[in-house]
Amino acid sequence: MTAGLPALMIATVVAASAQWISYPTPGIPRTQDGKPNLSAPAPRTPDGRPDLSGLWKAPNGKYLANLAADLKADEVPFQPWAAMLYKQRQENLAKDRPTARCLPHGVPDQMAVSGYPFKIIQQPGLVIILYEEMTHFRQIFLDGRELAKDANPTWLGYSVGRWEGDILVADTTGFNDKSWLDDPGHPHTTALRVIERFRRKDFGHMEIQITIDDPEAYTKAWTVTESFNLLPDTEILENICENEKDVSHLVGK
Amino acid sequence: MRTLLICCALAAAAASAQWLNYPTAGVPRTRDGKPNLSAPAPRTPDGKPDFSGTWGWEDNRPCPPDGCADQKIGQEFINIGWGLKDGLPYQPWAAELVKTRRADNSKDDPQTRCLPRGALRMHTDGLYKKIVQVPGLMAILSERNATYRQIFIDGRPLPADPNPSWNGYSSGRWEGDTLVVETVGFRDDTWLDAVGSPLTSAGKMTERFRRTTFGKLEIEITVDDPKAYTKAWTVKLNQPIVIDTELLDYICLENERDTKHLVGK
Repeated sequence: MTAGLPALMIATVVAASAQWISYPTPGIPRTQDGKPNLSAPAPRTPDGRPDLSGLWKAPNGKYLANLAADLKADEVPFQPWAAMLYKQRQENLAKDRPTARCLPHGVPDQMAVSGYPFKIIQQPGLVIILYEEMTHFRQIFLDGRELAKDANPTWLGYSVGRWEGDILVADTTGFNDKSWLDDPGHPHTTALRVIERFRRKDFGHMEIQITIDDPEAYTKAWTVTESFNLLPDTEILENICENEKDVSHLVGK
Repeated sequence: MRTLLICCALAAAAASAQWLNYPTAGVPRTRDGKPNLSAPAPRTPDGKPDFSGTWGWEDNRPCPPDGCADQKIGQEFINIGWGLKDGLPYQPWAAELVKTRRADNSKDDPQTRCLPRGALRMHTDGLYKKIVQVPGLMAILSERNATYRQIFIDGRPLPADPNPSWNGYSSGRWEGDTLVVETVGFRDDTWLDAVGSPLTSAGKMTERFRRTTFGKLEIEITVDDPKAYTKAWTVKLNQPIVIDTELLDYICLENERDTKHLVGK
């Protein structure tokens, strides 16, 4: 289960030591001593919606290490084949994890990587998420379109969003079956539907409730809630998974 | 040129999967309902031109005698200086390097190993890019590798000692209706086109973005890299809007089978 972690941690260290961009983020409320006031109210867009825009980061690697961390082991509603596959991946030290070969994370595990922040850019009809890791992006359409019926299977799926009060609800289908839901390898199929409920609680804190609904891999939908912190006065760095030397060293069964 | 064949094969795959057919919001129409691409460029609430939209590339490369590939590429993809009377003003070593790279079928082009094409080639790429402009920031999303580039428009200065990167570090300012973007901090191994015109870490790129009509984007690019070129040079791209579709994810490293077939000298 930890085979990929050394590689991940090396990458994280490199990124952290190179956080060279120190420029005050415009529009951040500050206390009298000039420090960001992260408990100020969440900002709003001109149309009165909460503005999720900003640079966000998972506080730790808990949900990357196990998306089902808040469930008891026997509470994950695996289909039998999915339980077998998950066990196999653990026995195999998760060496076939796509990111070990510089392939993308998926939804939701990309946001759970605490070593790499992500930036949300919110517009009235579109939300863009720029991920620092591997410099990938994701789009969430808020222009009233419906989910594609026969979406081209992709790593990050096809996302549409709508507002429910102050919560942005992103509904995503169209996944390939290659991404893993977390590092140990909770599996999913192309039937996966992920529903994310983004709630910016105040200026510096956001919660995302994530529902995994994949009847081919799980007997019922299951839900976790992750929290994220705003990162002020810095920027995402370009991160390209290059000079990849890990794969030949990965061991497993 | 072998890299081009690879590029075209990949581009063709992307094209055949253009399955997203959803009308782009806010497109001006003529009375008969057709998109009016010569309508004025849109503006943001603060009155600046809005470059947001999906953009293609100029169809300026004649088809070879045996017919066109599924998806055509622009001349600038092959040679960024193709339109300059005397070509690019290479320093002697750079001219030699380009000669070697051409003789080598450009097999060491970073993109053949799925590495990034960098900021300039995102404009000349045979895959779509989408500009998302918000106050203080312009993001350019590229289909290739589902990657992006950020251009800050919040008045920040260019860093004195930038971290070398494929996209460099970009800061833009308005000159009337033109967005002038300066970029430094490139890597030393950047290729600007398929023939291998180099860019070094001494290079500075200045882009002047103008949206002359709803349907037309002009990008005038000046590259000033005294290490690789004897003088600064400027090329101009004319790019058409692409409507009623969307970017597709294209992840190059997925099922990559090219590298072991690449041949050179």
